[in-house]
Parts: sequence; C-alpha cells; structure tokens
Amino acid sequence: MLKSIQTALQQKLSKDSVQAVFYLLPATAILLVFSYYPLISILNLSLYKWENLSPEKTFIGFQNYLNLFSNERFWNSLNVTFTYTSVVTIVSIAAGLLLAVALNNRYLILKSFWRSLYFLPSVTPTVAAAMVWILLFNPSIGYVNKFLDIFHIQGINWLADSTWALPTVMLLGIWRRAGFNLIIYLAALQAIPNEYYESAMVDGANPFRRFIHLTVPLLKPTTIMLVILGIIDSFLIFDQIMVLTRGGPLNATEVIGWYMYNNAFTFLKMGYGSAISVVIFIIIAVLTLLQWRFVGFGSMEDAE
Amino acid sequence: MMRKRISVSEAKKRLRVNIPLLLVLIPVAFAVLVPFLWMVTAALKPRGLIGEPPYLFPKYFEFTNFVVAWKAAPFIRYYANTTIVAIAVVFFRVVFASMAAFAFSVLKFRGRDLVFLVFLGTMMIPSHATLIPSYMIIINLKWLNTYQALIVPRMVDAFSIFLLRQMFISIPQDYLDAAKLDGCSNWKLLWKIIVPMSRSSLVAMSLFSFLFIWNDFLWPLLVANDKNMRTIQVGLQAFSGQYLTEWSFMMAGTMTAIIVPIILFVIAQKQFVSGLSHSGLKG
Repeated sequence: MLKSIQTALQQKLSKDSVQAVFYLLPATAILLVFSYYPLISILNLSLYKWENLSPEKTFIGFQNYLNLFSNERFWNSLNVTFTYTSVVTIVSIAAGLLLAVALNNRYLILKSFWRSLYFLPSVTPTVAAAMVWILLFNPSIGYVNKFLDIFHIQGINWLADSTWALPTVMLLGIWRRAGFNLIIYLAALQAIPNEYYESAMVDGANPFRRFIHLTVPLLKPTTIMLVILGIIDSFLIFDQIMVLTRGGPLNATEVIGWYMYNNAFTFLKMGYGSAISVVIFIIIAVLTLLQWRFVGFGSMEDAE
Repeated sequence: MMRKRISVSEAKKRLRVNIPLLLVLIPVAFAVLVPFLWMVTAALKPRGLIGEPPYLFPKYFEFTNFVVAWKAAPFIRYYANTTIVAIAVVFFRVVFASMAAFAFSVLKFRGRDLVFLVFLGTMMIPSHATLIPSYMIIINLKWLNTYQALIVPRMVDAFSIFLLRQMFISIPQDYLDAAKLDGCSNWKLLWKIIVPMSRSSLVAMSLFSFLFIWNDFLWPLLVANDKNMRTIQVGLQAFSGQYLTEWSFMMAGTMTAIIVPIILFVIAQKQFVSGLSHSGLKG
C-alpha cells in the first residue's frame, strides 16, 4: 500500500519534472542570458584593461579596483549618491507618512481624489519631469525665481550652482517618491485595527501622542520596507542627472550611475566601468538581501 | 428632534476635522501640481511670451506649438515604437511569468524551491550594473536599433513571477484537482482556469510593466538611439538637445511624452493603487 503511494508520488514527480522544464524554459533562458551571464561578465571584465571596444583585452588583476579606490572622483560619486539617497529617502518617507495619516482620517472629504493627485508624480516619466524642472528652475524665466521675486528674494541659477544643484535634483526625487510612500503607508494604516486607537483614546492620549506611541511603532515594518526600497530606488538614480546636470557643476551631482555610464560609454573604458558596476551590484545586492531578511519580497516599482 | 441635533454636531465635527486638514492638503496639492500646470501653460503660450510674469493657469491656447514640435521631431514614430515595445513586453511577461509561476506553484518537482530562489536572485542584479555586457550582447547579436533589443531582454522579470506565484498558490487545491479529474491538461488548467482567476494580479502587473517601458530611458538610449528607433523618452531627450531655448515647443514635446502615463493612471487608478498596496503589504 505504502509502496504504491510512493511509486505514484515518484511517477508524479518525474512527470512533473519533465513538464517543469517546458514551463520554465523561456523564463530561464532570458534570465540566464540577460541577468546571470552579464553579472558573471562584469565580474570577469573588471579584471581586464579593455578600452575603446578594441578586440584586445589585457588581464590586469585587481588594478581597476585599485585605480577606482584611489580615485577621488569615485569617492565623490559615492558621497553624492549617499547624500542624495539619504535626503530623498528620509524626506519622502516623512512626507508620505504625514499625508497618509491625514488621508486616513475618516471624516476627510474627497479621500480618493487626494490620494490619486499625490500619486500622480510617481507615474510621471522621470525624463519628462526633468524637462519641466529645467524650465521651473530657469534663472530668468522659471516659475521658482519669479515666485521668490514676490517676497523680494533674489533667485539664483539653481542647476548651475554647485551648492544648489544637488538639492534641486533631490526635490525632483522627493516629488516623485512621496506619493508612492503615501500609498503604501495608507494601505498599512487601514490594516491597523480600530480598537487600538479606541483604547488609547480611553487612556486619554491626545492625537500627537497617539501618532508617536501607537501609529509610528505599528508602522515600523512598513517603514523598514520603504526605507530599503527607497534606498535601492534612489541609489540607481540616472535619468534626471543626464537631463538636468550631466554630473555638474564641478561634479556636485556626479552620482555613481552617471560616473559608471560616462566611463563605460563616453570614454569607452569598459574594464574600469565594469569595476564600478561591480561596486553598484554589491551595494544593491546587500540592500536587497537586507530587504528579504526584514520584510520579504518588495514592491512592483523597484522590481525593474 | 434628537436626530437632528446629532447630525448637526456631526456636521460640526466634520467641519472641525476637515478645515485644518484641508489647510495642509490644499497647499501640498498645489506644490505637487505646479510642475504640471507650468508645463501646460508654457506649452500653450505663444512663442516669445514665455518670459511674461508667471501664471499657472493657461491664458493662451496656442496649439500650433504641438504642430511645430511634432514636425521638428517624429513624435508619432516615437509613440509607435514605444507602443509596439510596451505591448510586446507586456504580452511576453504575462505568458512567460504565468508559465513559470505555474511551475513554481502547481507542479511538484525536485529542487523546486532552489530553482525559485535562483529566479528571485535576479532581483538583486540591477540592470544599471549589467549595462556593459548587456550592451555587448546586443552588439554581438547585431540587434542595435531593432525592436528585439528593446523587447527581448525585458520579456521576463522575477518580480512578475513572484507576484503571480503568490496568486496561484492561493487558489484552493480542490479546485485544481476537480479540473484534473475532468481530464484537464496542465496547459488548459493554466490558461482556462488559473489565469482567469488571477485577473487582478495580471492587470496590475501589466499596468506596471507598460508604465515601466513607457518611462524607461537608459537602456533604449544605449541600444536604440537611431532617429527612427527611439522610444518616447529618448526621443524627447534628443528633441530637447535641439530646442532647449524654445520653451513653448519644448513643453509641447514634454506634454506629448507625459500624457499617456497620466491618462492610463486616471483610467486605471483603482488597479494601480490596489496593485501597489497588495504587493507592498504581502511583503
């Protein structure tokens, strides 16, 4: 009896194995060719001197990495990327949280209208939004400087100023990200049972205390997820840099993605560019593992 | 009498809650909308009037800006390219991700969890980091400036597979067993029973994939920057290189690139929001 069940199970296993090969074939082929092979390839290429797409590659061991780690521009690009990432992540999460709490109020009118409106920037193409940014922050005809004029504040040439260029780019990142955080927070807030708040009200906690001592701790898992997703998303910033500043002025906005792109595809230093790619990969891989460790598998927007 | 008093106090309460909230929400909404309003107003201004004092709502309606922009750059062609690529990518993603998710949920085979993990591992590999070898593959295949270069590398993504698998395993086993007893083959089981039951996940996944392709920039810039093969964002960027000082035309072009995602979102806001909320919450 037991034996026959065993054979039946084995038969099913082997029959399903054959079928599984068929069902997994297309996905496996694509992921192998366009994900795993390129990964191994950058690890390999980073050990070669390979320039100008010449057919010849010279093995130089870890020289590319040594050059990279002794190059100030590399450290500058890491620094710029981390600065951008931390500011955009923190501000957009704080804004998303506050807006979500406001929108979660059951007496608020036009709830879904607000929600959709705030989410609108998140579906806007980055390149197109960056085009609008150029005009908004134009020193002579931009809305921002004309707006500041009203208060007799002298506007500046935002994107050409080495102090203000990065904050201007950050603002675009925050504008695009806050609505996404809002949606996720709102869904998490709606999942909190009402009794928690009722008992807090019985205890006489005011709205501010309820927010600090109840809402914020209850949302901790969501916050961890949004922090990690936010870091991954901002760390890969590229489009707006290409449109807005091309890394300038004085490398003030030279993020690591742009540094890699420039070395690989403008100066055609493919070996060196691969070494930068490996650094990007390691940082993102560590963050992804952290995300899996703490919160499981992430959200759509960051899957790409 | 009693009832009326309650509703009055209720109304007062509503007012008391709404006024301070709206005092915050309206200015924030304004800040969110400024870039859109500024874009529309500039796109509809006659050329040369762009330096006028700022107003956020259009006063002029100069639609010829669009005609000029569309003549200056083949935006229609960019639209066609992007639409072809987006539809193809969505189609293949739905088919291949459904098949893979089926293997990972319904089929039983040795090493299934390990293979699934290997699939999910690709989420750790950002496409930015693998740009150089991916580009070399396209060169070696002689695919530069072809639709294949824009479609094939994007046909499969681990997250879609993950999302669909989560959906598929939630379908009760009895249901599948019953279908099998009726002599339903695996292929039929997947497409006639499982996929129709997973419509909401598939719709959300398709919307996000479409949006991703429409807004994508770096990859198409690298592999399809020929005038006739550009997708919309790459086309817009090329256009801006020529017309950066002609603001009215520039914003007309920008509006052209923005309008499709916006319309898509307005039509399908519910699916967008619930898709995001679910994928976020499931974790």
